[in-house]
Amino acid sequence: MNEFVETLLEMQWHEPKSSYDVVIIGGGGHGLATAYYLATKHGITNVAVIEANYIGSGNSGRNTTIIRANYGIPESVRFYQRSLELYAGLEDETGCWIMHATKGLLWMAHTETGMRAERARALINTACGAETHVVGPQEIKQICPQIDLTGSGRYPVLGASYHVGAATARHDRVVWAYAQGAMQRGVTVLQHTKVTGLLREGERVVGVETDRGPISAGVVMSAVGGNVTKIAAHAHVRLPVRTHALQAFVTNAYGLDFPGIISDSELSCYVSQTPRGQMLIGAEFEPQPSYSMQSTFNSLASCAKKISSCLPFLRELRVLRQWTGICDVSADFSPIMGFTGVDGFVISTGWGTWGFKGIPAGGQQMAELIATGTTPDLIAPFALDRFERDHSMADLGSAGTR
Amino acid sequence: MSDTPTSAPAGRIVVDGLPIPYETGDTVAVAIMRSGGHPKHGGTVCLGGDCPNCSAIVDGVPYVRTCQTAATPGLMVRRHPAVGNPSFPAVAQPDITRTPVTDHVSVSRASADIVVIGSGPSGVAAATSASADGHSVMVLDAHDGNEVVAIYGGPTVIVRRPEGMLHVHALRVVVATGAAEIHPVCPGNNLRGIVTARAAEQLHAAGINLGNAVSIGNAPVGVPCTPITGIIVRFEGSGSVSAVVTVGDDDVEVTTPCTTAIVGLGLAPRDMLSRMSGGLPVGLVGQAAEKFALPPCPTAGTVCPCSRVEVEDLEGVWARGFHELELVKRASLCGTGTCQGGVCGPHLRAFVAHHSGAEPEMFTARPATRQITLAEASADTYTDVFRRSPLHDEHLALGGQLDRFGGWWRPWNYGNHEVEYWAVREAVSLGDVSTLGKLVVSGPDAVELLERLYPTTVADIKPGRSRYVLLLNERGHLIDDGMICRETDSRFVLTFTSGGAANAEMWVRDWAETWGLQVHILDRTMSLAAINVTGPLAATLLQRVGLVDPPKFLQHRHDTVAGVPCHVMRLSFTGEASFELHHAADRSVELWRALMEAGRDLGIKPHGLQALFGLRLEKGHVIVGMDSELDSTPRRLDMDWAVKMDKPDFLGKTALVRTASLPDHRRLFGFTMEGRAPTEGSPIWSDGNVVGHVASSFTSPLLGHAVMLGWLKHTPFPERVQIDGREASVAQPPFYDPKGRRARA
Repeated sequence: MNEFVETLLEMQWHEPKSSYDVVIIGGGGHGLATAYYLATKHGITNVAVIEANYIGSGNSGRNTTIIRANYGIPESVRFYQRSLELYAGLEDETGCWIMHATKGLLWMAHTETGMRAERARALINTACGAETHVVGPQEIKQICPQIDLTGSGRYPVLGASYHVGAATARHDRVVWAYAQGAMQRGVTVLQHTKVTGLLREGERVVGVETDRGPISAGVVMSAVGGNVTKIAAHAHVRLPVRTHALQAFVTNAYGLDFPGIISDSELSCYVSQTPRGQMLIGAEFEPQPSYSMQSTFNSLASCAKKISSCLPFLRELRVLRQWTGICDVSADFSPIMGFTGVDGFVISTGWGTWGFKGIPAGGQQMAELIATGTTPDLIAPFALDRFERDHSMADLGSAGTR
Repeated sequence: MSDTPTSAPAGRIVVDGLPIPYETGDTVAVAIMRSGGHPKHGGTVCLGGDCPNCSAIVDGVPYVRTCQTAATPGLMVRRHPAVGNPSFPAVAQPDITRTPVTDHVSVSRASADIVVIGSGPSGVAAATSASADGHSVMVLDAHDGNEVVAIYGGPTVIVRRPEGMLHVHALRVVVATGAAEIHPVCPGNNLRGIVTARAAEQLHAAGINLGNAVSIGNAPVGVPCTPITGIIVRFEGSGSVSAVVTVGDDDVEVTTPCTTAIVGLGLAPRDMLSRMSGGLPVGLVGQAAEKFALPPCPTAGTVCPCSRVEVEDLEGVWARGFHELELVKRASLCGTGTCQGGVCGPHLRAFVAHHSGAEPEMFTARPATRQITLAEASADTYTDVFRRSPLHDEHLALGGQLDRFGGWWRPWNYGNHEVEYWAVREAVSLGDVSTLGKLVVSGPDAVELLERLYPTTVADIKPGRSRYVLLLNERGHLIDDGMICRETDSRFVLTFTSGGAANAEMWVRDWAETWGLQVHILDRTMSLAAINVTGPLAATLLQRVGLVDPPKFLQHRHDTVAGVPCHVMRLSFTGEASFELHHAADRSVELWRALMEAGRDLGIKPHGLQALFGLRLEKGHVIVGMDSELDSTPRRLDMDWAVKMDKPDFLGKTALVRTASLPDHRRLFGFTMEGRAPTEGSPIWSDGNVVGHVASSFTSPLLGHAVMLGWLKHTPFPERVQIDGREASVAQPPFYDPKGRRARA
C-alpha cells in the first residue's frame, strides 16, 4: 500500500436524522471545517453537513492548494495569517497527513508600480504578523533558479515580495481531515443530497428542504460555493456576489526541483509544484459572470503563454489536465462571513478564488459565531452589513488572483 | 524480441545515447522493440496511444507517447527514469534580443461542418453519410498525423500535427475513435514482454519476431503464438516475462514458459473526447459508443501505471470509507495520471462495481487527451500589448527610463527625477501626457449628459473655460477624474486619467445610451497626443514659439504653437503654471522638438512620472487608484468641494445622500514628517496599533522634509502618528504654495 493511502484515516458515515442543532449546506472545506470546530472546540456534535455531490467535489477539490496571508489590508492579513497558522498545526491536531509544506511565495513585479505594490504588501504584512519582505532579482534567482529575470525580454523582473510562510497542502486531504475529524465525533455528512429550499417559521429559518425530505435545524449555515446566491435567495437574502469561472491546469509529473510558489499580478498567473511533481498553474477568474464549468482553450493558451515568459522551461512541459471551478466573488473581493439579518441563517461566502487558504480560520470563526451567537473580532470586518455601512474590505491587488 | 536484419536500416534514432536502427514506417516504440528493448522499462505495450507504457523523452520533451511518434533520422530519445519522474527540461537563459527558437509553433485554422475523429469503419461511415447530406467534412486520424488533443466550446477541435497546431471550428463533432484494449492487472504486469493482441499484430507486421509467444484471451490474427486458456493469475520473470501463470475452471494453476505474452482481454470504449465535451454537439459512434463488459474486479497487481497505484491501494481506500468512484480515484490517485484512466478506468469501475454493487459511470475527462506542451498550447497567442505614445523614441533618445503604467509605456524618469523636479519648479519642463483619455461630447443633449454624469455643475461652465471634475459610480465611489473643457454651447472636450480612459469611454457611452440622450461621442485618446508645458517659464516658452497671448488659468482655446495646431488648456497638476497642448499625434515629434529647442536657454528638461508624482503630491492632488481606493467617496478624500449636492441628480448622488449620515471611519489625510519619505504603503501607527497606511510619499526637495497622503481608518482620527518608526503629523495639503498663486500665475 502506498504512503498516500496508508496515511488516510477512516470516514465514519452516520445515518441521517430528521433534526439537528446545526445544518451546514455544502460539504467542502469551509462547511466541514465549521462542523469540525463545532464538534472539537464547542462540543456541538448534533450537526449535519449536506453535500449535493461528494465531499470536496466543488472548489475544495479544484483549487491550486496555495496557503498564504500576504494580503494588502490589515483585516485580511490577520485573518489569513490565523488560517496559515492553523494549517501548519492541522496534521498534529487531526492526525491526518495533509501534505503540508511551507515553501515561500515570490510575488513578482515588472514595473515601478508593481514594485510599489510589493513594497507596500511587505510592510503591511509585517505590521500585521505575516512574514513578508522585499527581494531583488539576484535573491529571486537564488530562491528560484528557473526564473528568467528578463521575462523573455518582455517582462523583466525588478523584484518581488517574498512571503516566507506561504505553503501548500493537498486540497482533498484537507477536506477529508476535517470530515474525518467531524464524523469521528458524531457529525453526520450526507452526500448526494440536494438542498431545494429553506424551512421557515415567519422570517426565521428553521431547517432545510432537500430532495430526500426536510431536515430541521436550530441554525442553518450556507457554505456552498458557486450557487450561493440561489441558496441565500431562499432566505430572502440578497448577496453582493457574482459567480465567475476560474480555470487551472497541471502538467505531467517531473522531479521535485521547483522550490516555491511564484505569483505574478501583471501576468495574473501563479505556479507551484505538487508533491507528485506536477506543475500546477492557475490564472485570474474569467471577467464575465458564468456558472459554466467548461474549460476554454483561450484560457489555457493565454495562461501558458504568460507563465512561460518568466519560466521558459515550462514551455516544453506537457499539459496533463485542465479544469474549471466557479467562484463567488463579492463586490469588494473579500469573503462575507457571519449573520445575514435573518434569524437562524448564517453564511460563509464570497470566497472567490481564495477560499482554500481561508478554510481553517473560516471554519474556526464560523463555529465560534454559531456556538456563541456573537461575531468574533477576527471576522467582524467581513460581515455582510459592511456593504450597507459602506465599509468595504477592498483588496483588489491581493485578492484578484490566487 | 529481436529481428533478423534483412536489409540496411532506413535510419537510426538515438535511445539513451545509443544508436538504434529503424525500418521504414517504424514508430519510435516499434524501433525500440525491434532492437529488443522496452520504451519504458516494463509494462503492457498497446501501441494504440492509450497507455503511458511507451512514454519517453523525445527531443527533450518528456511524456511523449513513442507509439505515436514516427522514427526520423537522429531523433533523440531518452527513456524516463525507471523510478521517479523525469527531470525538467534544462533551463536556457534566453538572449533577450531574440525570440526563443521554440517560440515558434505554427498554427493553422480550418473549419468544417462536421469533424470526424477517427478514420476506422465507423468514422468512414459517419463521414460518408455526412458528405451525402451535403455537409463539408473533415476526418482527423492520429495515424495520418492528426492527433486530436481536445474538444473545446464552439466546438473547436485542437489538433497537433508534425508541422504545427491545427484549430478546427466545426458545427458538430463525431468521435469515432474506436476502442482501447484492456490491460492485464495482476502480479508481474510491470514486466517487459507483455503486449496486447493488436500490438502483437503490429509488431509482427513490422517483421519483428516475437520469440516464444503465447496468447491469452482473444488471439492476434496471423501472429505465430501458442494460445493458452484460462484466466491470467500472474506473470513470472525477472525484468522480462519468463512464464505466464493461468488458472482454468478446475482452479489449477498452469505455468506456461514464454518470452512474449500476448493478451487479448477485451475492449473498452475510447470515449475520452466525448466525456470532456459535455454540453457540446459532440456525438459518439462505433466502438467508442459501445457498452463493453467490464473486466473482473482486479485482486492484485498494478492498476494505474501512470500514478503507480496497486490494487491493494484501492482496497485500502475502500476500507477507509471512500465509497464511490470519485473518492476512490482522488484518494488513491488511480486515474489521475498521464493516460487519464485509459488503462485503469475499466478496472477501477470494476472494482467499485464489485464493492458497491452498482456499476459506476466513468469519470469526466479533462483536456487534453493527447497531451500538448505549453508552447503548443500557447502558439499564436499574444500577451497584452502596451501602447506607445508618438513621443516614445524622443523619450528613449533623451535617456528616458520607460515603464509600463496604465496600459502605456511611459517615461519613469530621464536619469534623475530631482533634476526634473527643479526644472518644473524653477524653469520649464515638458511632460508627455498623450496617454490621457480624451473624449469629445457634442450634440443637443451634451449638457444634460454631463450634468447627470458628473457631481459638479456643468451648465455654468462658459465656452472657453474648463473645470476639474470627479467621476463617481452609483455607489458614490470615485472611479476617475479629469477636466471638462467647454468649447461651444453643445460641444465639450473631456479628459480622463491614462489608466481609466478605456473604462471611462465605455462608462460615458453606456450612460448616454441608457438615458437615450442625443449626443455624439468621439474618442480621441489615440488620435491626439498631448504635451504638458509646465513651470514658471512655461508662458515665456510658449510666447517664443508663437503663442502670443497664452490662455489664463482654467481657460482653453485652439491656437497654433510652433506651427502646430493645438488645443491649449491652461491648468495645473504640478503646482506650476501648466499648458496642455493637445494636437494631432502625427505632429507630436515636431512640436516636442520645437519646444525643447526653444527652451534650451531657459533650462528646459522633460520630466517623467517619478517627478510628476512628487510634484503633485506637494500640492496634495490625488491620483485615482494610487491614493483612492475602491470605496473612496468624495468625503473620504476630503473633496466634498467638488460635489454639488444641491444639483437635481447625478450618478452616485443617491448613495452619497444615504451614506452622508452614516458613521465613517475612513479618511485620506495629508501628513508631514522630518527626514526622508517613508516607503509608500507604510503602516501608520497610533498607540501601538496600525490605524492606516501611507498612500503616497515624497521627500520634498523644496521643503526639505517628507510629505504624504495616507489613510486613517480608525476613529477618532489621531493628530500625531508614527510612520517608519518616526513621529509624523497630520497636515492639511497643499504642502506647497497653499494659496495656489504659482498654479494660477
